[in-house]
Amino acid sequence: MTPAIAPIGLGSYLVVSAALLVLGVLGIFLNRKNIIIILMSMELILLAANLNFVAFSSAHADLSGQVMVLFVLTIAAAEAAIGLAIVTVYFRNRGSIQVEDVTMMKG
Amino acid sequence: MPSVLGDYAPVLVFGAISVVIAAAMLGMALVCGQQKPYPEKVTAYECGFEAFDDARRRFDVRFYLVAILFIIFDLEVAFLFPWAVSLSRIGLFGFLSMLGFLSVLGIGFLYEWRKGALDWD
Amino acid sequence: MNAMSVNWILALPEITLALAGLVILVFGVLQRPGKGIGACTVLSIAAFVGCAVLVALSPDGAAYAGTFVNDSFARFMKILVLLGGLVALLLTVSYRTDERAPLPFETAVLILFSTVGAMIMASSANLMTLFVGLELSSLSIYILAALERDDVLSSEAGLKYFVLGSLASGLLLYGMSLVYGYAGTMEYSGLIAAIQQTTALPVGLMVGLVFLVVGLCFKLSVVPFHMWTPDVYQGAPTPVTAYMAGAPKFATFALLLRVMSGPFGAMAPRWQILIETLSILSMVYGALAAIPQTNIKRLMAYSSIGHMGYALMGLAAASTNGVRATLVYLAAYLVMNAGVFAVITAMRRKGREVTSLADLSGLGRTDPGLAAALAVFMFSMVGAPPLAGFFGKLMVFAAAWQSGLYVLVGIGALSSVIGAYYYLRVVKVMYFDASAERLDQPARSLVFVSGSMGLATVFFVLALGPLMALARQAALALGG
Repeated sequence: MTPAIAPIGLGSYLVVSAALLVLGVLGIFLNRKNIIIILMSMELILLAANLNFVAFSSAHADLSGQVMVLFVLTIAAAEAAIGLAIVTVYFRNRGSIQVEDVTMMKG
Repeated sequence: MPSVLGDYAPVLVFGAISVVIAAAMLGMALVCGQQKPYPEKVTAYECGFEAFDDARRRFDVRFYLVAILFIIFDLEVAFLFPWAVSLSRIGLFGFLSMLGFLSVLGIGFLYEWRKGALDWD
Repeated sequence: MNAMSVNWILALPEITLALAGLVILVFGVLQRPGKGIGACTVLSIAAFVGCAVLVALSPDGAAYAGTFVNDSFARFMKILVLLGGLVALLLTVSYRTDERAPLPFETAVLILFSTVGAMIMASSANLMTLFVGLELSSLSIYILAALERDDVLSSEAGLKYFVLGSLASGLLLYGMSLVYGYAGTMEYSGLIAAIQQTTALPVGLMVGLVFLVVGLCFKLSVVPFHMWTPDVYQGAPTPVTAYMAGAPKFATFALLLRVMSGPFGAMAPRWQILIETLSILSMVYGALAAIPQTNIKRLMAYSSIGHMGYALMGLAAASTNGVRATLVYLAAYLVMNAGVFAVITAMRRKGREVTSLADLSGLGRTDPGLAAALAVFMFSMVGAPPLAGFFGKLMVFAAAWQSGLYVLVGIGALSSVIGAYYYLRVVKVMYFDASAERLDQPARSLVFVSGSMGLATVFFVLALGPLMALARQAALALGG
């Protein structure tokens, strides 16, 4: 039986992950509002890398890429937790989590 | 020659059955149950909040704390799945490694417990 | 000896240190709140010393299916990392916040875990261990930077470091995924083979490599990826700043040296120009931007940017001599940097921390010992013979000269001269300015650290022979 839809190739995955990466990086640099948005953009970047790993792992028939994804997921969770904790501490001190308010130190 | 969409026929059947079951359950409740509505009862359920308030107000910071702790312990389960699937092949050493991993998590749990992060008040 | 026991033996230092961390964490949390920092720090110091002995005794070899390697290079770097962590721990002992509270006991545990991560980085032989070690080390430092929870500057430092640091690790990870995809493996040995096989390098591999270097340079605070450094150094509690300026930098250098001279060694002509540019930018920027600074912690941030530039010179040389020079440079940097931060931690007036340069005025008269130590460190950072910094600089300059990087050496010498201005300004403030109010009597642990580091800086030349032999062995193990 041949599939009616052409299989999605490695190239497509790479394009999607590159787009995710660009979205994430732009989200960090163009965002002038809320720090939570930066946290979300960070997750997007990690997901872009994860998508790459899984796509390459399947293309090479090599499991190490998928093992890596498991590690990355865990680390991403730890990172999100630490990020939220720091944001909470910061909010308690400054009463705001607007990006433009993070300017106590300059120079 | 069956098309790809034909392969999804079971999903369609599954969807249809779930619609029927859901409709049956709601309909039975409507038909057979006693209805005594009052304001407290018909408001939307919100855990931990008074429901008669703006949805966009600030949350209590304690919710964040619980969420942060949850993220960590939740994702460690991702390691349990591959372990459970391959348990028959990895032998005693594999079994003990996971116990080691879980005891490290347990120490983390002990830490947050002693620190009082789990107390609501 | 079967494979499993090899695993245990090779990673024994890391395993011991991590287990010690868990034990100390449980011990600390069972004490009454606010207590136990002293005991935890002492236990951590004992764990560090024990771990250093284990590192020195550990054999060569590869473990865990080739993801973990131990060789003389890894041992050299691990000892540097452990020393860096040890000094930071010693500085936490007497440190008090402005509310006169000691740091929480978690400080010791976090420094310990961060050091475990840094040691794993030094031993990585696979992109997987690279990433996990790097993150274990950085995640702990994010928390450490924001440790003074009621201090606005500290939490802002933590936030900034977190945002830029995790952006860096995201980019690093993306680069790793491209390298994995185009080379088909994550093992360094596999990467070497994959790169040697192809005649024309795939673009994806080059892009991946660039991302990888960018991510690591972020952690090293090399220009143009340095913008977080001054703010984070200023805001973080001083012992934490001392830690950040030491151990993680050594570990990141270990990664950079191992990756660049191992898997990507065959591509050296292509990345040499990249590293050279980064080195020049860091040296020049570190020297120029430090001049208007009035806060000594910020000053040290720019100083560390500059020093990383000099250390990169050895890598840019892309030779065994270059790697050896970088290692010696890092050892010298460890000694003088730890000393400077011991003095900065000792800068207190009526129990409150002071960090402005003007607070040092007249220190030469009010506390001659401390002033002499700081002067020694400053002269060493300038590169004045016969202090530690001189030999480090001499070796990287020589290595770069041998590789024909004359422009790099010229600019390095020039920026040393510019840098001398702000280092010597500190000395001038201490000895020639009108006395400010007396500083508090420094704690004994700080006197010990600054004194011993001062002696090490002055008598560095005595240890130079064995150190160079060790560094040479380490560089040869890398096959650079």
